[in-house]
Amino acid sequence: MPRHRPKASPPAPIDLNPRTDPPLDFPVRALGELTPRDYEILGFMCGLEVHQQLDTRGKLFCRCPAGVRTTRVDAEVLRHMRPTLSELGEYDGTALMEFRTRKEIVYRLDRRTVCTYEIDDTPPFPIDEEAIRAALEIATLYGLDRVSELQVMRKQYLDGSIPTGFQRTAMVALAGVLPFPDSELGPDRVLRIRQLTLEEDSCREVSDVGHRIVFRTDRLGMPLTETVTEPDLLTPRDVAAGGSLLAWVARASGRVRRGPGAARQDVNVSIAGSRRVEIKGVCQHKVLPRLVHIEAYRHLELLRIRAELLRRGVTAEQLVLPQLDPPWASPLAIDARTLVGDRDGPPIQGARERGDMIAAVRLPGFAGILAHRTQPSPHGDLRFDHELAERLRVIACLTARPFMAHTDEASSPVHESTWRELRRALRATADDAVVVVWGPWADVATAVEEIVGRGREALVGVPSETRQAHPDGTTGFERILPGPERMYPDTDTPPWPVPDAWLGEIDASQPERPWERERRYVEELGLGARAARVLVERGLYELFDALAPSTVVGRRRLASALECRLLAWWRESGTRTLPESERLRPLVLAIDEGKLRPEAYDEVFDALLRADDAQAGRVLVEQWCARSPEPSLAAALDRLVAAAAERRFSSPDARMRWALGQAMPTVLGHLAPAVVRERLLAVLA
Amino acid sequence: MSSSDQSSPAHLPDPDDYKGYREPMLGVMKRFGVTVWSEVVARTTRGDFQGLVLPRSETSDAEHMVLKLVSGYNIGIRHDTIESMEAVGYRKAQYKIPEEPFPVDPDKPRVMLLGTGGTIASRLDYRTGAVIPAFSPGELYGSVPELADICNLETEKLFGVFSENMGAHEYQVLARRVGQAIADGYDGVVIGHGTDTMAHTAAALSFMVQDPPVPIVMVGSQRSSDRPSSDAARNLIAATQAAARGPIAEVMVCMFGPTSDRYDLLHRGTRVRKMHSSYRSTFRTLGGIPLAMVQEDGAMEVLEPNVRPRRSDRQARVQVAFEDKVTILYYYPNMQPDVIDALVSCGYEGIVIAGTGLGHVNKKVYPALRRAHEAGVQMYMTLQTLWGFVQMHVYETGREILELGVVPLANMLPEVAYIKLGWALGLHPGDPGKVRELMTTTIAGEMTEGEPFDGYLVLQGAVPEARELIGKVWW
Ligand SMILES: [Zn+2]
Repeated sequence: MPRHRPKASPPAPIDLNPRTDPPLDFPVRALGELTPRDYEILGFMCGLEVHQQLDTRGKLFCRCPAGVRTTRVDAEVLRHMRPTLSELGEYDGTALMEFRTRKEIVYRLDRRTVCTYEIDDTPPFPIDEEAIRAALEIATLYGLDRVSELQVMRKQYLDGSIPTGFQRTAMVALAGVLPFPDSELGPDRVLRIRQLTLEEDSCREVSDVGHRIVFRTDRLGMPLTETVTEPDLLTPRDVAAGGSLLAWVARASGRVRRGPGAARQDVNVSIAGSRRVEIKGVCQHKVLPRLVHIEAYRHLELLRIRAELLRRGVTAEQLVLPQLDPPWASPLAIDARTLVGDRDGPPIQGARERGDMIAAVRLPGFAGILAHRTQPSPHGDLRFDHELAERLRVIACLTARPFMAHTDEASSPVHESTWRELRRALRATADDAVVVVWGPWADVATAVEEIVGRGREALVGVPSETRQAHPDGTTGFERILPGPERMYPDTDTPPWPVPDAWLGEIDASQPERPWERERRYVEELGLGARAARVLVERGLYELFDALAPSTVVGRRRLASALECRLLAWWRESGTRTLPESERLRPLVLAIDEGKLRPEAYDEVFDALLRADDAQAGRVLVEQWCARSPEPSLAAALDRLVAAAAERRFSSPDARMRWALGQAMPTVLGHLAPAVVRERLLAVLA
Repeated sequence: MSSSDQSSPAHLPDPDDYKGYREPMLGVMKRFGVTVWSEVVARTTRGDFQGLVLPRSETSDAEHMVLKLVSGYNIGIRHDTIESMEAVGYRKAQYKIPEEPFPVDPDKPRVMLLGTGGTIASRLDYRTGAVIPAFSPGELYGSVPELADICNLETEKLFGVFSENMGAHEYQVLARRVGQAIADGYDGVVIGHGTDTMAHTAAALSFMVQDPPVPIVMVGSQRSSDRPSSDAARNLIAATQAAARGPIAEVMVCMFGPTSDRYDLLHRGTRVRKMHSSYRSTFRTLGGIPLAMVQEDGAMEVLEPNVRPRRSDRQARVQVAFEDKVTILYYYPNMQPDVIDALVSCGYEGIVIAGTGLGHVNKKVYPALRRAHEAGVQMYMTLQTLWGFVQMHVYETGREILELGVVPLANMLPEVAYIKLGWALGLHPGDPGKVRELMTTTIAGEMTEGEPFDGYLVLQGAVPEARELIGKVWW
């Protein structure tokens, strides 16, 4: 079948960094070696899009349960996506790319988590009002302007992650600011929030190999909010802090889902002279700094490559394939099947045996460029050829590695003499790079176009892309960044007016914002700044407030036990559940009322966590309080006098430390250390 | 060029200036000098909002104004939250679908595509969400270029009506036009049609254009063509394949087989029925198996051995007529006889009964049936069960109904019987014997001599066989 090549529309100008002067001579430095001033020189700019699942019973547009995670497969459905034309009769870049991949999209269904809505065989049911309410509450916490009427839109996604080919999404609120103080960047900083939308979640990807991508549908259709910040984040550390701030505020609503995958962020990165690149689906804040640092350097390296190519006089006109089908037999690409031979390495022999298409592409003026470093990695730095390989993997769907070789490689499966023949056939000079690619016929045809296309984009510098994060902090190509024209109204759902009564209720019952709570803990309750921060960050404040110790020592001990002992218990037991407040209350009261001394806090706290229930815990605390210290102390003193006589100590102090360590546990919670020390001095003297 | 933007703050008044807006929002817009397509900055009690004013849907409330934000999102602003509003610009746009000349290849078959109003291919106006239909060959080539690999396509738009508004007049115009296309030497005819009444039109064409020498293929979509997941392009490609190169010369419906993107099925025009309100795989052949499968790559496999083959002659029997005074009576327990009396007194000439079981109605309506029969109303029995045959000799009730003048129609579908009766009465007004003879004679497979064992296969979820089928095979 002939291959149809629709035209792509140009990228949007809003994706450009406001500064156009890349600092090309900026030195290469690791994360942590750069100051805020350095990032300013780089023109580093970053914004976040935080996706936060809402803790509702049902999904957004059907009544299936939300939050059920499953791997069961009852049925599979197969679909394709077809791009729709934009206003100018051109195809959106993303849409075009997805069409070129010609993917079979497979959806796995578990009958307990999906109905016919999710697989696009039934129109949407009325929107879930619990989700709207939650989104409005979070928007209010963010200090955003709330709209009068929600209008559901369709945002196109052709990667298959949503079976309809679009995500239903509605604008809830716009334009707010959060206090965002920073020790280096200033105490009065704010983080501006552009918008908050309510939308349905997409599928979870199971695998993406060749022309087949497989998705699970359990998560599909769950309500989530997307919060978009302005590009106010100016250092890698700042990016992580911004992500944490948005998360704490959202959590204060009590409406968000917790656990793996419940909150994911997309990070937009650019530097001076580059354009916005979006790193998708990062689940943990702590990996953000490294990711954006490496991405900033990738931009810088790509801009250096651009400068070098321009210096060499390479132009976009030299990097255009004639409209031929197939695209070889042109000055830039040839059929290389007759030029390779027995002298070439095993990958080439494998390709010959399989009957693969083998094509060679000339990149004029690119000699050495393919070996130019783009991303540092502990597994060996990534180079510009990685940018090519990624396009071939994703768009041309080449999977059997290796599928390409080039003249900038130190060792290559293509023999020297074959390279000479290929250069001759392509009329390539020493200034040019040559790439050989092999695989199925149609995929190699796409690959040749992608190699030339990515070469042409090198003249622009940084292509607008979405990228996926790898564990080592590097990123790989995911897709072309979609343009703004992929949004259109959903004709299946009516507008939804926001009732004034709701807004009144929400405004009247505003939960405490995280920074307000932190300040209250320090200023009114006497906690240390660090303890206050931990309670807020870790989501322990609800339990803390429910217990509300009345003494400063009681508060400090509780905060410390929640931070250290509870987290240790979580690690030990593998759970992440908070204990009921009733289980801990007897201890809090015993400390506040002076029935138990604070030295016993951690030990009793640990025992309470492990008690069968709150009742058992209460008995346990009562027993602790009822213990009479005198007989235990007397017995201990007798034992210690005898034992001390048989040991040697380097000094009287060492002897006292040892004796105190032995005696204290027997009277823990009842006698102050100073008292015990007095008594020990008396008998050991 | 496909779009034209006007930019002038002092534009001429236009009846569409407030399209869709009513009081109280209308008054607010007039007060601040804001119209549809104005770029506005609105200061409201809920914050400031900036965007382009869009037309309001007539079915939405009168309280809100729709604003398209720069992000592409739309929001509604309520009239009583607006403190002030300023028009800072004006952007109106009209769009057309891009046209590219449809390539002509003398070696390829000629196909005529007739349009009845449903959108076959389309493009979106991203601002309003309006769907702009693509219909001319050039427009179609712009959105479904694969068609050029199959045939030389010519198109003609006959009507612009929704599927539910197709009726006697449209059937007749369409049938004559199909007859003309056959005479003009086209290798096949494709008819774009909304899915709701596609089966009715397919039945009408089956009787009005008998024994055609080339395929007549009806096609539509269950997901509109402006959606990336649409079935429209695939259905259109499959239908065009079937019309251009297919071996079966009958009136057929070409739509998705399973809900997965796997293959299309060709259904006989008199045996096809829409069975789900929204599934892609909504069309089913009843009382038989589909005529053929059309695979993704265009390969066709004929499934039903009994089909009329393509011929090279240009002969078709075109008989065009329709009597409107025909109805379907869907029987239910406790039906009162006055329903039937009312039909008679309203002048109905034909009644197709959809009866229970093997073809039954209750005794209470017998006198009314007798009165209708004596008044000369033609009455025919079909089945609510849709699958199976009318058999009125098994029980005494059936024999009694036969004596009242109700004629059994074997396994003819109720809707097909309705269309056929309208056509027969239109063709032979005042000749009840001729009408009855036509009704009981099979013309285009509307009654069959038996039912294959694998036609009726309704597997319900969770039974082991169904689990196996949908777990491993595309459904
Ligand atoms: Zn559902």
